[in-house]
Amino acid sequence: MPDLATILAGAADAATLSNLFFIILGVAIGQVVGAIPGMTILMALAIAIPITYTMDTLTAIAFLISVNKGGTVGGAIPAILINTPGTPESAATALDGHPMAKKGQPMKAMRYSLYYSVFGDFWSDIVLITVAAPLAIVALKMGPVEVTALMVLAFTVITGLVGNSMVKGLIAAALGCLCASIGLDPGQGTPRFTFGSLNLYDGLPLTAMSIGLLAVAEIFHQIAKTTKATAATAPIPMSVREDDGRLTLKDLLANRYVALRATVIGTLIGAIPGLGSATAGFLSYSITKQSAKDPESFGTGDPRGIAASEAANSAVVGANLIPLLTLGIPGNIAAALLVSAFIIHGIQPGPLLFKEQGQLIYGMFAAMLVANFANLAVGQIGMRFWAFAISAPNSVIYPASLLLCFTGSYVTAGGLFGVMIMLIFGVAGYFMRLFAISPIAFIIGYVLTPELESKLIQSVLITRGDPWKVLDHPIAIALLVLSVASIVYLGPRRRKGAKKAVDQPAA
Amino acid sequence: MTITRSIAAAALASVAIAAHPAVAAECPAGFPDGQITMLVGYGAGGGTDAIARAIAADMEARQGWTVVVDNRPGAGGGVMSAELMGKEPDGSVIGVGATGTVALNPYETKSTPFTYEDFDYLGTAMNINYGLVSITDKPYKTLAEFIEFAKANGATIATGGKSQEILVRQMADHYGVELIAVPGKGAADSMQAALGGHVDATTQGTQHVQQIKAGAMVQLASLTGERVPYAPDSPTLVEEGLDATIEGQTIFMVPKGTDPAVFACLAQALDESVQSEGYAELMDRLDNKAVNLGPDGTRAVIAKAAAFYQSYLAGE
Repeated sequence: MPDLATILAGAADAATLSNLFFIILGVAIGQVVGAIPGMTILMALAIAIPITYTMDTLTAIAFLISVNKGGTVGGAIPAILINTPGTPESAATALDGHPMAKKGQPMKAMRYSLYYSVFGDFWSDIVLITVAAPLAIVALKMGPVEVTALMVLAFTVITGLVGNSMVKGLIAAALGCLCASIGLDPGQGTPRFTFGSLNLYDGLPLTAMSIGLLAVAEIFHQIAKTTKATAATAPIPMSVREDDGRLTLKDLLANRYVALRATVIGTLIGAIPGLGSATAGFLSYSITKQSAKDPESFGTGDPRGIAASEAANSAVVGANLIPLLTLGIPGNIAAALLVSAFIIHGIQPGPLLFKEQGQLIYGMFAAMLVANFANLAVGQIGMRFWAFAISAPNSVIYPASLLLCFTGSYVTAGGLFGVMIMLIFGVAGYFMRLFAISPIAFIIGYVLTPELESKLIQSVLITRGDPWKVLDHPIAIALLVLSVASIVYLGPRRRKGAKKAVDQPAA
Repeated sequence: MTITRSIAAAALASVAIAAHPAVAAECPAGFPDGQITMLVGYGAGGGTDAIARAIAADMEARQGWTVVVDNRPGAGGGVMSAELMGKEPDGSVIGVGATGTVALNPYETKSTPFTYEDFDYLGTAMNINYGLVSITDKPYKTLAEFIEFAKANGATIATGGKSQEILVRQMADHYGVELIAVPGKGAADSMQAALGGHVDATTQGTQHVQQIKAGAMVQLASLTGERVPYAPDSPTLVEEGLDATIEGQTIFMVPKGTDPAVFACLAQALDESVQSEGYAELMDRLDNKAVNLGPDGTRAVIAKAAAFYQSYLAGE
């Protein structure tokens, strides 16, 4: 830990008007890009990095981190307003956010989402600033065997998200696993289900696929439902009662334990490289729902659902920098993009970073804290704009979103291949909706499988194929015991809850 | 490419820039007719992408061309190569990949639609310094000690790609010990397994340099042809009597059949940019140095690696 003078000097570096300007600009860009279905935060970062070439180092990094932070807030907006999460991590927010908006409380849903998102982000930043180094060492203890056990646990608790029919949920998750096996296998590099197409060697592009499955399918669904009468109306009713948009401190504090738990989950998942914010959001939502006294109220616009998803997926953003700043290992793709920005500005992330660049790092921390407040302020203003935008009729909103989905898929997957994948999964997602097969369970199966497979292969190699060697890994045993416990204790209760709520549509 | 010639080229280039910013490489009249596209075989924001963008920006300034960088990630540069193969060989499209893209991938997966002979090579921009490294907490500090350890217990080595796996197998055969390659999803994944002590060593291309500087890791062996500046005491496998290296150059390629005059012009333009001061700065930051093997040198390295992988993988 550097001395106080370094910390203060760093903080002072951050407190310039131009830094403040770029932090606010970054947050605003991030929120807008995140809020547009089809545009992803990775695109925003990749485009923003060349813009930072001419900035000084601290400003550049503050700007990029602000874009990233803004994106986590923005991503929830289309999920809430038009049920079209453009990215998988905000999909869990749609489960309760959109029903709340449909009840005529879109402002309230957006406020919940904004506040809990910033809450999760803020506390994970605090964890990063205060205990990054020890936490990174703990995270390193999560080897292949431990992560395999963690993935097993994730699969068991995630059954809480499969919707009302266990069978259909399992079908969806299994299809997700199957699609995840497309591409080169993580052990031997053998091509699977690629049909000779090089484009499929790295698997289906997640962004294009999730845009198709989540956003395009919902747009198709809405267009199919649209008649001349509904085309002229806005997608969600706006309550005229002032009350419905308001959120008191009491409302927020009512979910403090849910938000706190979500933050802890997000921070821990974020500190382990490679797991990502989608896993954190789903895991937190699932645990919250299954441990609630009244799981049947989830999916109907329960604020706890929004808190569980948003606080967790935002907490990943700060925590993801823990392995990056302490060990030089990027935790996810966004962090990998930050690495290249660091390098371009002459900084090599690695174990020496704090020692060699202490002042810069503390400047960056100060900028991150400022960015959280900027996120809150910009979010408050942006909310009114989005509420206004959404008052446009269906016939404007959905075609415009569809156009952006095409653009997003084209750019992220590097060409028309991405657009094709998006369309295929848009149609598939439409039929999945018709048959009440949860696309969310599909995506979870898809996101978790590669990590499970890769770590399982590594574990088998490291233990020389001896299953008893797992006894040498106490953390793995604890996680496996938890998995069994979650099936035994949470399973039957979930089904009882589901029976009461048979009339709910699947996620 | 001799050192004298590179210095001369660099000096000439800087003089040329000072005097006439737009005049440099000797090109046929009317070339390029429009923009030049640089197809990068990896995603935006990665190491190869950073190199391609630096070179493209320098070419624009130096030659007065418009060079657009476009990413075609997938299959370790394979998606880019397949697309490049279908382009007109008129010099308007340059592919940027790695040695393995053309020297290993075609033999690793039989359905790959190209071989290294489908392209001509303008040159290279960097040589990745692969090393076999382990954390300092382990009971071995040299290759000999590591092999002793492996003799008694066997050893696991986290790898990040087929070429690294093959090298581990070559070592196991050569020393007659059990070495298990544990394939990671990439360099970061392998590094994490090594730093956490979950494996006994790892093969790395870039991230290990900072770990060595911080005293967290030690390089057991250099997997390059020559010793590396950041670990001058670490011998190469070649010195140890095992003729095995991992070739990792950033390569610039064009479709086969490009007009020799256009080819020469592009190769010269690439060389000028690789030898430039701005690019040297980028290399400094990456703890590496600019290396252009030139058209003939690049093809020779690729041909040698391709011949090795072809016969090695055929014998599997």
